[in-house]
Amino acid sequence: MSEVFESYERQYCELSANLSKKTSSVSYLDGEQQKQKISEVRGGLDEAEALIRKMDLEARGLQPNIKAVLLAKLREYKSDLNNLKNEVKRIASMNLNQAARDELLEAGMADTLTASANQRDRLLMSTERLNNSGNRISESRKVMLETEELGVSLLQDLHQQRQSLLHANNTLHGVDDNISRSKRVITSISRRMSRNKWIIGAIISVLVLVILLILYFKLAK
Amino acid sequence: MGDHLARADDFEKKAEKKLSGWGLFGSKYEDAADLFDKAANSYKLAKSWDQAGAVYVKLAECHLKLDSKHEAANAYADAAHCYKKTNTKESISCLEQSVNMFLDIGRFNMSARYYKEIAELCEQEQNLEQAIAYYEKAADLFQSEEVTTSANQCKQKIAQFAAQLEQYQKAIEIYEEIARHSLNNNLLKYGVKGHLLNAGICQLCKSDVVAISNALERYQELDPTFSGTREYKLLADLATAIDEEDVAKFTDAVKEYDSMTQLDSWKTTLLLRVKEALKAKELEEDDLT
Repeated sequence: MSEVFESYERQYCELSANLSKKTSSVSYLDGEQQKQKISEVRGGLDEAEALIRKMDLEARGLQPNIKAVLLAKLREYKSDLNNLKNEVKRIASMNLNQAARDELLEAGMADTLTASANQRDRLLMSTERLNNSGNRISESRKVMLETEELGVSLLQDLHQQRQSLLHANNTLHGVDDNISRSKRVITSISRRMSRNKWIIGAIISVLVLVILLILYFKLAK
Repeated sequence: MGDHLARADDFEKKAEKKLSGWGLFGSKYEDAADLFDKAANSYKLAKSWDQAGAVYVKLAECHLKLDSKHEAANAYADAAHCYKKTNTKESISCLEQSVNMFLDIGRFNMSARYYKEIAELCEQEQNLEQAIAYYEKAADLFQSEEVTTSANQCKQKIAQFAAQLEQYQKAIEIYEEIARHSLNNNLLKYGVKGHLLNAGICQLCKSDVVAISNALERYQELDPTFSGTREYKLLADLATAIDEEDVAKFTDAVKEYDSMTQLDSWKTTLLLRVKEALKAKELEEDDLT
């Protein structure tokens, strides 16, 4: 009985080695070949699964001690198969992505592919691009020169304003001096005014006294 | 509008009456001056510039009688501003009177500024010689007040007009002096190459080949960076073109410079003169041979 099992086992090992080789090589292919290889691998996986099931049935029909060993081996094979399946799924999903990108960019690729096929056109395109960049550089140089001229005239204006400000500063110092002088003059005027007031008051009082004295003496006579 | 006009008329008549009547307290001139001022304001609002100018002149006379020269000068200046909109000659004469008064008082700054205004008016009327005279007076006054930038500006205008009137030597001297002065100043040194270019163009107009090369060397000494600029290249190219009497080369050099920065009308006129002279010389040579 175990011979059947062993033959299944041998088949399975061959198949799984084959499959793992195929999956590792799939990532280096692209496009149609990848899809082909993947479908092959899937077919292989299905076969491996069938083998494992058969081995399982066999193992269960055997004696208990051998059964245990065989079942353990079987579990190992199953996990291996699962790993393979996961890897294939991963590659397939990556493939889908890749296929979608390829289709999106295929439209763009086609033009340059067709254009660069023609060397003369390529040269023309590059010359045109060079000319454009040359034009842009000379235009920017013109703009830079204009800006420089503007800057120069601005500086001249600033210089003029600086001088006016300095002049105004000096004038204001002069104004300051004049104001302090006029303040002194006004204080002296007010002092003189108050002095005059006192003097006049004194004279008036003296005159009044004299008049009173005269009247007094007159009347006393 | 009519409202202002009517009010202005009213004020003016009242002021005249005050002047002709007998003021008891001697304050009639001041009152009249006040009324004239209001009248002139209303005329300005009504936009009748001539009448406003006339009233301002009367106001100035009142102030003169009051012996306040400063006020009178200001009134003349206001009159001139009103006349600017209509009648330039009147405005020039008013400004002159105001300038004289400012000079009497000793306010050179104001008089220099008004001289500059007169010169600008003359320039507008294309009266270049008178403009030069006034600009010179203004530049002198500015110089005495140590306001060098305004003085330099006036001098630049003088040089421009002098070159247009073919007084090249004068223009060259002025430009070189300005360039020398600007070198010392941090703010102005970027304008030096413009001035040297103008001086160089005037030298070319004189068409004295030896002097041109001497001048270029001199400018080199003045400003070491000058030789790297496009202006120097242009001048050198033009000098060689004149030396070889090659009109095509001349045109090429000018076109090259023009493609980067547009040449303004003054430069274009002068360069055209040089080109004409060159062509004439070429034709002459052909005739002789």
